[in-house]
Amino acid sequence: MKNEKLRDLSFFLFPMVFMVVLFYLIPLVLTVYISFTGMRNWNVDKYLHQVVGLYNYERLIHMFKYDPTFKAVILTTIVFVLITLIINVFGGLGLALGTFFMSEKPASAFRLLWLLPRMSPIAVYSLVWYYFFHGSSIGTLNSVLMKLGVINQPIPWGQIVPWGAWSVIIFVNGLVGVSFGMIVFTSALNQIPKELVIAARVDGASAWEISRRILLPLMKWHFLYVLTWQFLSLLTTYPHLFLLVEWDLVDRDYGTTLALYVFNTAFGRGEQDQGLAAAAAVILSILGIIGGFVTLKVLQFEKMIKKPRGDL
Amino acid sequence: MKWKATLLMAILVFAVIASGCIGSTQETKTETSKVTLTGDFTKDVIEIGKILQQNGINEVKFAAWGSGDPNSVMRVYGIVDAAYKINKIWEQNGIKVKITVTTKYDQSFKDQYQEFLSKQPLGQAGDFFVNSYAFLPTLAEEGYILDITEYAKAYQNVIDDFYPNLLEAAKYKGKLYGLPQDTEARPLYVRKDVAKCAGLDVTTLPEDVKSGEFTWSDVYYWAKKAKEKGCAEWGLIHRKGSAHPDLIQFIFAFNGKLYDPSTGKLVLDVPAVYKWLYVEWKFAQDGLLPKDIMSWDWAKQIHPTIVEGRTLFDIGGTWYWTEWQTKQYYHGRGLKPEEVKEWFAYTLFPAGEKGDKPVTLSQPFIWMINSKAGQLNPKYEELKDVYHALAFLMIVKASDSEINAIHSVISAHLPVRKEAAKLIKDENWLNKLKNLDLDLAPEVKDNIKDIVEKTVNPINAKFLADVSYMLEYTHLAPAHPKYPALADIFKEAVDKVLRGEMTPEEAVKFIEDKIKADKELADNVEIKGEIPKEWEFPRGD
Repeated sequence: MKNEKLRDLSFFLFPMVFMVVLFYLIPLVLTVYISFTGMRNWNVDKYLHQVVGLYNYERLIHMFKYDPTFKAVILTTIVFVLITLIINVFGGLGLALGTFFMSEKPASAFRLLWLLPRMSPIAVYSLVWYYFFHGSSIGTLNSVLMKLGVINQPIPWGQIVPWGAWSVIIFVNGLVGVSFGMIVFTSALNQIPKELVIAARVDGASAWEISRRILLPLMKWHFLYVLTWQFLSLLTTYPHLFLLVEWDLVDRDYGTTLALYVFNTAFGRGEQDQGLAAAAAVILSILGIIGGFVTLKVLQFEKMIKKPRGDL
Repeated sequence: MKWKATLLMAILVFAVIASGCIGSTQETKTETSKVTLTGDFTKDVIEIGKILQQNGINEVKFAAWGSGDPNSVMRVYGIVDAAYKINKIWEQNGIKVKITVTTKYDQSFKDQYQEFLSKQPLGQAGDFFVNSYAFLPTLAEEGYILDITEYAKAYQNVIDDFYPNLLEAAKYKGKLYGLPQDTEARPLYVRKDVAKCAGLDVTTLPEDVKSGEFTWSDVYYWAKKAKEKGCAEWGLIHRKGSAHPDLIQFIFAFNGKLYDPSTGKLVLDVPAVYKWLYVEWKFAQDGLLPKDIMSWDWAKQIHPTIVEGRTLFDIGGTWYWTEWQTKQYYHGRGLKPEEVKEWFAYTLFPAGEKGDKPVTLSQPFIWMINSKAGQLNPKYEELKDVYHALAFLMIVKASDSEINAIHSVISAHLPVRKEAAKLIKDENWLNKLKNLDLDLAPEVKDNIKDIVEKTVNPINAKFLADVSYMLEYTHLAPAHPKYPALADIFKEAVDKVLRGEMTPEEAVKFIEDKIKADKELADNVEIKGEIPKEWEFPRGD
């Protein structure tokens, strides 16, 4: 009987376990292994067996101690992840609640508008903001402000460190990420029985009171999901940042997060140092695991996965 | 009974696997073919053709990867034309083998280099790869490109026709890894009308710069005068982005070094780097050079500012000359050759100060051969040497002086061979090129027709002839695998001094700290000298 259960379980779980091992576990193990090798320039044949121990980690620590700009990368990672996370989660929540109280047609159009940044190709979307925030008079923002007489000289927005650079990268990424929360929260709101809202309305509750007392408590798990997902996603995101830094729109020290640093070190320089990048990626993964774990613990994730009381 | 069946199955599976292994060993064990090149191109090509034919090969497929500005397409079509000419020789000699070449031409040479790095180990990179010599050391070190030293010995007469310093750029640790494809100089352009307004005589300028009389102090003086008199919005415009290779000219102009051949290490020449950063800082702080030039837009800001005459000086490349004619930088149109000639004077990059020498800087592009060239063709393992020898002969043919001269005229790069330099001065040949009355592959003619129409004229040919002397003053950035990382730090430091975020002293300290913070860079860079205490710029001001 026991064997039979195990066989059934194996049969149903195999595809998922296989995918997890193939696409998650093996890359993770490989990344850790590469971080202990001198791998560079994609030369697997030459470097894969060249184990250098903790050398790459020593290099990272040395850089952290002595590099005049490496600390800017760490600081940028912290600020970027935290502020963008707040914007993405609460912005998404605000948009979902806002459209919930609107009639269906304008609400759909409004939601679609917020999805546009996610639907646009990254290069096109980044180019729009490149010209918008450009630090000279060819920049749309500068040009408008100058025409209105608000400023006399163009302002190099992305080059004002640290907050100018941070504001641009947070703004651009915030706009992309906010739609994810909006979709999840909208879907959650649509699952809440309408009777509850109608009853509250009949009792004279305002939209704010309905949101605070009925809707938000019922969306706790969705909130937790969006928060954790977006945190991990922001910690590892870099494509928009890469282009904004590459095009010199933002200061490269205060526009570079650890994820972008990993990418640039592995693939973006004259000498591509995959060993060093892997070491930085391992640290990034550890930060992600700790961060994700703390989020789930603080918001008591275990309560959500408790077995339901009674029999089905 | 059950265990017997299991045993039988196991034996069966083992037998199948074993037979597969044995079979595959037998298949690959055939005699290899070698080629010895004689130096007689036709004879060598016929010999290779015969070997291929005997081995049952009737089509050889190659891919040529190149990159650069839109006018530099001969970087791939040179290979296409070489295939066309080799096919012709085979056809005339009854050899039924044909080379077909697919091309890939990208705008960014850095992006293509990165693509080559990632695809070479997988066997998916181009067989021919033309790119900056700056990447050659890394590619050679990793074994990604073919060492052609032995092949080249048979073609010493061709090799001797290349300019020696450019040939050096194709070498790494004494071995030859490719043939120079083109090079360029980086002149200081002077806008004639702005100079006239400021009172600067441009007629004697090239000679004054050449003799070291006109230095960067004078550039500053006239830039300031032009601005104060309202002749131009800016005194100087230079390129943005990577400091390599344009701005490092300052290091050489201030008599500095970037590489020490005796130790094989890169050098941070502190006095020269300090003077370079000081000049940049001074120009920017006095409003003669835009503080944010490193993030200017090429098409909307940098080129329009130059061609519209809003600056007196510009540090650019020779290729600007035809780029201004083919791209719409001037109020939505390209310049006419006559306009470029009338509006711009050009000189060497002036000496840093009296006693120093004027300079220019070249970044030769090199035709390199993938160390796995020909691998997608049949019997690659047996015929590897034949495919490699054929690839070498193709880059020899693609380096024909005529191909090199065509590339130079249409893209305003400098020829890499003495014979090609003679050709671009020949009016008859230029007329033939203008009418495309040359023996070129039809595909090549079709693809360069429009560019030829716009760029082949006596004015552009004369410009190339005029600037060729600059190669005598040229410097090359060091061919060292760690140089790109150092150039990256220079770029960051220049940006910070231009914006006024750092003084030149702070920027030098910043560069030193960045080098020391990277263990590998610290092992590969010698920091020499100190910030000069009594030095002033501009002198006597």
